[in-house]
Amino acid sequence: MYAFQYRKATSLKEAGELLAKDEEARPMSGGMTLIPTLKARLAQPTQLIDITGLAELFGIEVRDGQLFIGAATRHQQVADSKVVRDALPALADLANNIGDPQVRNRGTLGGSVANNDPAADYPAAVLGLDAKIITNKREIAATDFFQGMFATALEAGELIMRIAFPLPKKAAYAKFPHPASGYAMAGVFIAQTADGVRVAVTGAGEGVFRWTDAEAALGKQMDAAALENLTLSTDNLNEDIHGTREYRAQLVKVMAGRAAAAVAGK
Amino acid sequence: MDQHVHHHLFEVEGAHVSRLEDLRLIKGEGCYAADWNLPGQAHACFLRSDHAHAKIVSINIDAARKAKGVLGVYTGEDAIRAGQTKPLSMLTFAGKDGKKALIPERPTLAHGRVRFVGDTVALVVAETALQAQDAIELIEIEYEDLPVVVVAEAALAAGAPQLHDNIPGNLCFEQEAGDAAAVDAAFAKAAHVTKLKLDCTRVVPNPMEPRACLAAYDAKSESYTVHVPVQGINMMRMQMVAYTGVPEDKLNIVARDVGGGFGQRSIAYPEYCSVMMAAKALGRPVKWVSTRSEAFMADSHGRANYITAELALDKDGTFLAMRLDWIADLGAYLHPAGPVSPMRNPVVCLNGVYKTQALFGRWRVALTNTSPVSAYRGAARPEIAYTIERLVDESAAQMNIDPAELRRRNFIPPEAFPYKTPTGSVYDIADFPAVLDKALKLADVKGFAKRRAAAEKRGMLRGQGMATVIENSGAGMFPKDEILLEVAADGKLTAYSISHSQGQGHETTFAQIIGDALGIPAERITLRQGIGEKGLIGNHTGGSRTIVGAGTVCHIAAKKLIEHATPLAAEQLGVEPSQVAYAKGEFKSSESKKTITLGELAAKKPLSVTGEGKFGSTFPNGCHIAEVEIDPQTGVTQVVAYVTVDDCGTVINHTIVEGQMHGAVAQGWGQIFGENVVYDLETGQLLTGSFMDYAMPKAGWINDITIAEHTTFGTISPLGVKGMGESGCTASLGALTNAVMDALRPLGVPPLDMPLTAHKLWQAITAAKKGN
Repeated sequence: MYAFQYRKATSLKEAGELLAKDEEARPMSGGMTLIPTLKARLAQPTQLIDITGLAELFGIEVRDGQLFIGAATRHQQVADSKVVRDALPALADLANNIGDPQVRNRGTLGGSVANNDPAADYPAAVLGLDAKIITNKREIAATDFFQGMFATALEAGELIMRIAFPLPKKAAYAKFPHPASGYAMAGVFIAQTADGVRVAVTGAGEGVFRWTDAEAALGKQMDAAALENLTLSTDNLNEDIHGTREYRAQLVKVMAGRAAAAVAGK
Repeated sequence: MDQHVHHHLFEVEGAHVSRLEDLRLIKGEGCYAADWNLPGQAHACFLRSDHAHAKIVSINIDAARKAKGVLGVYTGEDAIRAGQTKPLSMLTFAGKDGKKALIPERPTLAHGRVRFVGDTVALVVAETALQAQDAIELIEIEYEDLPVVVVAEAALAAGAPQLHDNIPGNLCFEQEAGDAAAVDAAFAKAAHVTKLKLDCTRVVPNPMEPRACLAAYDAKSESYTVHVPVQGINMMRMQMVAYTGVPEDKLNIVARDVGGGFGQRSIAYPEYCSVMMAAKALGRPVKWVSTRSEAFMADSHGRANYITAELALDKDGTFLAMRLDWIADLGAYLHPAGPVSPMRNPVVCLNGVYKTQALFGRWRVALTNTSPVSAYRGAARPEIAYTIERLVDESAAQMNIDPAELRRRNFIPPEAFPYKTPTGSVYDIADFPAVLDKALKLADVKGFAKRRAAAEKRGMLRGQGMATVIENSGAGMFPKDEILLEVAADGKLTAYSISHSQGQGHETTFAQIIGDALGIPAERITLRQGIGEKGLIGNHTGGSRTIVGAGTVCHIAAKKLIEHATPLAAEQLGVEPSQVAYAKGEFKSSESKKTITLGELAAKKPLSVTGEGKFGSTFPNGCHIAEVEIDPQTGVTQVVAYVTVDDCGTVINHTIVEGQMHGAVAQGWGQIFGENVVYDLETGQLLTGSFMDYAMPKAGWINDITIAEHTTFGTISPLGVKGMGESGCTASLGALTNAVMDALRPLGVPPLDMPLTAHKLWQAITAAKKGN
């Protein structure tokens, strides 16, 4: 770790200003990615602006058919929230399977979404539910927000305040964990909404993406059999020592089938 | 000595004694290597090579030297000047054609050339660890890359890149064992031959406690004190003396709690010796604590044995002969005992549990541009057991003979013990059929067909596999094991041992043995390890040998204490020694009924004895049966049942035996299903350098293990013990792989090698389905 200044922000406004003033400053939420990066000396920020104490970033509520969750809410709080469990159980389940207990009790929704790790779980729910990312400057649609591996629409000094998840009729998330890291090697979020079915895939490619062929097929028939004749293109899938593109395509299909079965209540 | 009295006592009183050390350790009151601190200590950080094989063209340390807080910067020049170039080699015996091993030099800081990613190139010592780390980044090195070889077989091939000028073809050593002519003759008349190529993959030991050391030099006495994790201080000292040239009586090693070992702790690593060099040069204690990343790169790796194996059978399935061609990948340099394990242990148990008469093997020690390899829980015992048990299972399948029945036909029968093996070992005692029968029953082998059919209905592939194995416990290379017993005035005892626990629970088992012999509660005995001042002789804890060696000597020392104290008690009681009887910590005169306790005796005059003994190898054995279900859609294997029946001789403490078994089976499970060190074939970069890419087994992945014992009392130790720290690894590699292959064989999947990752199994299943 290189030396840096640590500051605990007292207001969202102050945090935004500190970050805007210093391009090398970084906001810190749960720090579950940032701290290991610092420890490995892979990043050298001048300041860490701790935003986890800001009241504006907390709160879970359902309003106007949407579930709002504050950005600093920890994964375990999402998993344990009665509001989330009643309104959007698929999201509570997803949160309950992120990392391990230590990660779930430190890591935050906003931190995960802002980091946009291509194997993180939350982006699948955000894109799958067509959620809105509400920042200290604007609202950003999920489709516009995620811009590939670790890249987002966030600008300097822009912080996620909360995320608004439109409530689907039904939804489910199925994940194949990476054998070493536990991140998603293939994670599929399926949402059945008034406007049709959305299928978002994380872990398998360079960033979260929608599998539109599966959306069409599952719109007609919500089960694994509907996917049988589909083949996910391997063009943009990852390949490494843990799996070929073909294997990842297979895992996406299997996880999609399992999520579909859960949506259908089978 | 009446064995049966003691067996009875352990069974009744020692059955499930909780570990005496646990409360202290769980409360965070342990003292691990990094917990030691000395006044005025400085901090060390190493610069490690990020090239797998390269010439060091130049090193510029000027900027680092001037950096804030820096006290000293050292490179290969300094290591050579200090004479730190030759690690101890225990590979001293002659190989093929009487040839001795070629041993590479290894300056404790690389000189002229780096040979693996993680090789230490420079050492910076500064006032703080952070300053040392900062200064490391200021060192400028120019490398000139050399061709890289990370695969042992490729390293031995003609035209391979050469790692060391004095080791042509990267071949350090070659040996043969057995009777080649007899094997050839047996193969010629065989009805069936099974041939397999078996990779026992390279793994990282990953003990929970990272390596650390704190070295201090006292100029007045010209002596060093080194705090370091060990398996035994004497082994560490012997290796450090050889590497640094410091006289034995000028080197005091100190260790208390050690957080996991697995063989990795017995080595005097170059880092430790460099830190000693810096401590002397600076006149200040120097402390180094390894990061986990460094552990992945530069802790000794394990296994890395690559074996071509053939088994010849007659038409009834009798094993006629076995032939092996074994390549051991030792990495870029030789750790002191690294090559000894694969050269010695497979030969000792080359026939396994079977009466196979004709055996032959060729072994080669190869060097590659990878982290040096050394003993890892089992130290090539799991590899030879895996080799044999894979051959047996594949033969059973190919010849359509029940795998248990095939084993039974070839077992050394119980009445044949002591049994002299074709390679000259003497198995003292075992009852393989009884062990097998017990395991078959516990695993409900009869009900397997039904369970397989039910699984098939759920779309799952179910398999069952077994391994029946034997292993030699380590004989130990020190002349004897000593235990010092000191009695205090309050009646409490302190025992001193060189064999050092890294988690095995010596504080409990040793206290139980002593308490049993003295008839006092184990809680009254405190074990102290890692105390050099007592000058004891003894082996390190390794090779499953400690209960046989130091453990047995605990019993001997306790008996000696009674013998030694009886005349002293008689004198105090004013009677003849023959009129004094000892029981439960107390001497009693048969005449006067007067008594005096051990504590009261010690209050009058210091009371202590040193017990000693030398015990060779004995042979723990067992049968493990695994049952697995594989999801053909994802390739994921779930171990749905796992049964162990082991004969480790007398059991001192069932809780500890079960814990050892859990740990060792989990390690085997890790190796079979996930753990695997991967180096990039072209660049030699370590691709599995963290837990993000290296799949350690996790607690939730392992289901309940059914553990049972079938004891035959060992004849080497008067306690009847055989050792059991490694048997779980020895048996699990074969049992798990055989279970997976049993599940996949009906699809036409050919024999697969570890690790049996979900990805690999899915590919194999997919390929087999396409072929059909």
